[in-house]
Amino acid sequence: MSRGLIILLVLLLNSAFAHSNSHSLGDEANALRAAGKTFHKSISAIRKMHPELLKHKRDKTLRQGIRTDESSLKGCVNCHSGKNDATGNYHPINAKDQFCSTCHQQVSVSVDCFACHRTTPSQATIAKQNTAAEPISTNTFTAEEVDKKGDDDE
Amino acid sequence: MMMSKKFNRRDFIKASTATTASVTAVASGITLTTFAASETPVTNEKRWGMLVDTNKLSENDIDNMVSACQQEHGWGGEIHSTNEQKPAWIKNIKVQDKATKKITNLPLMCQHCEQPPCVDVCPTNASVRRADGIVLVDKHLCIGCRYCMMACPYDARSFVHENLTEQKEHSPRGKGTVESCTMCVHKVDKGEQPACVASVSAKSDAVIFGDLYDSSSNINQTLKQVQSTQIRADMNLNTGVRYSGI
Repeated sequence: MSRGLIILLVLLLNSAFAHSNSHSLGDEANALRAAGKTFHKSISAIRKMHPELLKHKRDKTLRQGIRTDESSLKGCVNCHSGKNDATGNYHPINAKDQFCSTCHQQVSVSVDCFACHRTTPSQATIAKQNTAAEPISTNTFTAEEVDKKGDDDE
Repeated sequence: MMMSKKFNRRDFIKASTATTASVTAVASGITLTTFAASETPVTNEKRWGMLVDTNKLSENDIDNMVSACQQEHGWGGEIHSTNEQKPAWIKNIKVQDKATKKITNLPLMCQHCEQPPCVDVCPTNASVRRADGIVLVDKHLCIGCRYCMMACPYDARSFVHENLTEQKEHSPRGKGTVESCTMCVHKVDKGEQPACVASVSAKSDAVIFGDLYDSSSNINQTLKQVQSTQIRADMNLNTGVRYSGI
């Protein structure tokens, strides 16, 4: 009985800390964080709202031709994909233990985006990222500006 | 919401002032995150079109147009599909005059109709015509029924029969959805020319791209001067792609 309880507790704790795995945050995102900046004004909002934001943006882009960087899936991939240190190639962002998968595995949600969308930054983007001295991001906030409210209420 | 009788006028004004303040705060947050890229939707004040002069195009030029499209959008590398299944966003069509046996080559792609049959038949609204005349497939909604492929008089659409990886980041493609020429909408929105047009424009003005409505545009002025036609003009689809020389 107590063993079962311990297993349950471990599972619960696991799910509570699953998102804090910084290893899969992605190369550009890590660089941005190291520079003391962040792209998302509210981390909790993007965690909860990203499906809605992406869905809203896809219609605006495809049907109205609004191609801003805001809520762009291309932007997610470019910032949050991580390099394989051995080969130097990028892991597909939806591969096991990569940025998109870590949480979606946890909650058993399959991601459909990448049946069609590219899963790694394009060569052109990588070249741009490599030549830039600072992380490429059109919109960043410093640590003080970030809305911390509700970050821990997952 | 039930309002209690104790909620008097003074409280109401206080509460509404607080609400207004919070709205302003949100609004200022939004202005902080605005971007330089165009945020205004495309309008029907423009109508994108193309004029293809087949007399000025060699077969080689058309092949270059096809490969420029393949390179831009990443199609043509399908290995598990049969020849009939392989996508063809743009293809080289040969037409022969029965009397004189004169052969004309022409590039054929989505004609971006004003009254597109593919949009009429789509059961999920995945086939869509943008306000500026570009006809697209919304692959988020496409269920792969292929009615649009049946309806299209130009055989301009293809179906993806196999799993794909390493797509171009500006051109998502995937198994189970229909696809076709997008008039390089991602480039047009940036003010550039479609890839196929760019591949010939360095050498000649055989293919002109531009706004059909803009009387100062090259395509508008050329269309006023030269004899041009729409393929299957009898169907009254009012295509955005026009041909001269056929």
